Amino acid sequence: MRAVVFDGVVLGLQFGLLGVGLTLVYGLGGVLNLAHGQLAVLGAIVAALRIDAGASTIAAVLTGLAVAGFVGLALDLTLMRPVYRRVGEDRVLLGLLLMLGVAFIIDGVLEWRYPIEALSLRIGGDPVDILGVRMRTGSLLASAIAVGVGVVLVVFLRYATVGKAVRSVIQDEEGAQLCGVSPATVRAFVFALSGVLAALVAVTRSMTSPVNVNAGIDFTILALIVAVVGGLGSVSGAFLAGVLLGIVNTVSAHYIGTYITTIVLLAAAAVTIVARPSGLLGAGRE
Amino acid sequence: MRRSATVGRAGTSPVRAYAPIVVTGALVALLPLRYGDSRAMMGVVIGGVLFAAYAVGFNVIFGSTGQLFLCTGALAGLGGYASAILSDRHGIPMVLSMVLAALVAAIAGGLLSWIAVSRSLGVIFTGIVTLAFSLSFQNLLLGQRDLTGGETGLVVDAGSDTFLGEQVAPFYVFVGLVMAYLALYRALQRSHVGWAFRALRDDEIAAELAGVDVKRYRVFAGTLGSGMIGLAGALYAHSERFISPSTFSFGEVDVLVIVMLAFGGIGSLLGPVVGAAAFTVLEEWMVSFNEYRLIVYGAVILALFLFFPRGVVPSVQSLAQRLRRRLGRPASPTAAAGERRADAPGPAASPVGPDVVGSEEVRAGGATPPE
Repeated sequence: MRAVVFDGVVLGLQFGLLGVGLTLVYGLGGVLNLAHGQLAVLGAIVAALRIDAGASTIAAVLTGLAVAGFVGLALDLTLMRPVYRRVGEDRVLLGLLLMLGVAFIIDGVLEWRYPIEALSLRIGGDPVDILGVRMRTGSLLASAIAVGVGVVLVVFLRYATVGKAVRSVIQDEEGAQLCGVSPATVRAFVFALSGVLAALVAVTRSMTSPVNVNAGIDFTILALIVAVVGGLGSVSGAFLAGVLLGIVNTVSAHYIGTYITTIVLLAAAAVTIVARPSGLLGAGRE
Repeated sequence: MRRSATVGRAGTSPVRAYAPIVVTGALVALLPLRYGDSRAMMGVVIGGVLFAAYAVGFNVIFGSTGQLFLCTGALAGLGGYASAILSDRHGIPMVLSMVLAALVAAIAGGLLSWIAVSRSLGVIFTGIVTLAFSLSFQNLLLGQRDLTGGETGLVVDAGSDTFLGEQVAPFYVFVGLVMAYLALYRALQRSHVGWAFRALRDDEIAAELAGVDVKRYRVFAGTLGSGMIGLAGALYAHSERFISPSTFSFGEVDVLVIVMLAFGGIGSLLGPVVGAAAFTVLEEWMVSFNEYRLIVYGAVILALFLFFPRGVVPSVQSLAQRLRRRLGRPASPTAAAGERRADAPGPAASPVGPDVVGSEEVRAGGATPPE
């Protein structure tokens, strides 16, 4: 049982990391990034290509993260401009549709040029005993990165000046502007950050199982569910939701098995939303 | 010309209100003249009409009451599989099984809507709950092999010996279905239900204060729209004679239906039909691009939504109004508003002048309450 829960936490931390990038972008600009998973895969494939070309793993991964971050930034500065000029439901809808188009394009490019490319990082080392459970080094490293990123993000948002600016825009765009914070700059920064985070998830994921070209849509759907269950805009909410759903997933996979696991996972997500209509740690705004 | 703009509302002549439906139906009915010989092309055309039916149903739910149902495919699948299983396994006559299937879908959609409404879920949250339903349904289809045939799908026998088994006849059945749906949509718009829909879409709280039972109308729209989608799915199962999980998957149905409706014009009568037609043509054209099909598809979606962010039908209408004004016909606020106005803004937005009507300010002005 303990081993199963541990596996759930490992998986859940990945879920959380996946949801974080999406949740920040939505909380900030009202854009539901339907290309989030595709950005993740893009980063992973770039890294895989660099490794094929003989680059060291670290350098390749950093290049992948940078490319995904850069694409995120570029999207914000170009395509998202007309979206930010709108308000309310119009903004959400247009943002969602345009990012859907972007998702198709990224998927299309990757499937066309590199149909069989996949990123798979093998982390060496013997399994480590933790509280009597033997854990693979790859899982541990992936979890450590997720936890590290989560902590850094929370601290950054709470104490750093830029982090405070981000939070101020999430809370009240106009108010933030009056205080001299430029929502546009903050949004561009967070969009780029979200791209990096997305690619990072694909990288940590590849430490336990390969990430191939068409994984984008699954990543996106999972990110959506995690971000919404956690409360859109809340970093700690995303991690909490991720870990909860991760545990539900592995426990039901272990004890019930088969395709029912997915249904249990989705049902858990739906029940959480219905029980807490603004998400686990949502601020009550959409 | 000026009066035609208010056509969606009660009080205008029924001829003007329903004429667009008849004209559209007549135009679409001409398609077999061109494509009737080719089985493949008739398949494409029927697919387009089927998606128009889905999109009208989705428009009733999302366009009228703002509930983002990400389970169009699942509801259609519920209808399709229910009807196929009822008629083939249990020997229930096809027509009756289709009605029952539509009922099943209506009940499922109504329940989802009821859950969303009674917990006051916001747009995105409703979306995710229904998406969870969608994906669960997909997994159930794959898992319950004995009943659904799993991944390999299900051959549907009932109906193959009727005219539904022919090449062109099912097309007219689908056209009839879409016209019936459009007429129903128009009838709703013109009834007190339409007023309630417009009021709650515009400002939920104000509508509630004015005595509109917002929850009841939302659940009503969710139930009705889901039933429409389920019936279309059931009809498709019998005319196509083969269904599989991918026939009704989120990626195959929902994404397309949303894109179609958003492109055609959310909450407009003919938007779903225009959108379905445009994307059916687009998909057909895209086949020739082979491997970079997805790239072109994505690029076209970007271009379409950058140029028509509000949808083609509303854009064309406001363009027509602007032209009319430039030609020296002073349009009264009521006339200038066009269908957009008949559909979206309620009493709160009435004093809007001709300059802003039909542009995005109208929708933005009808502030959606914070979720």
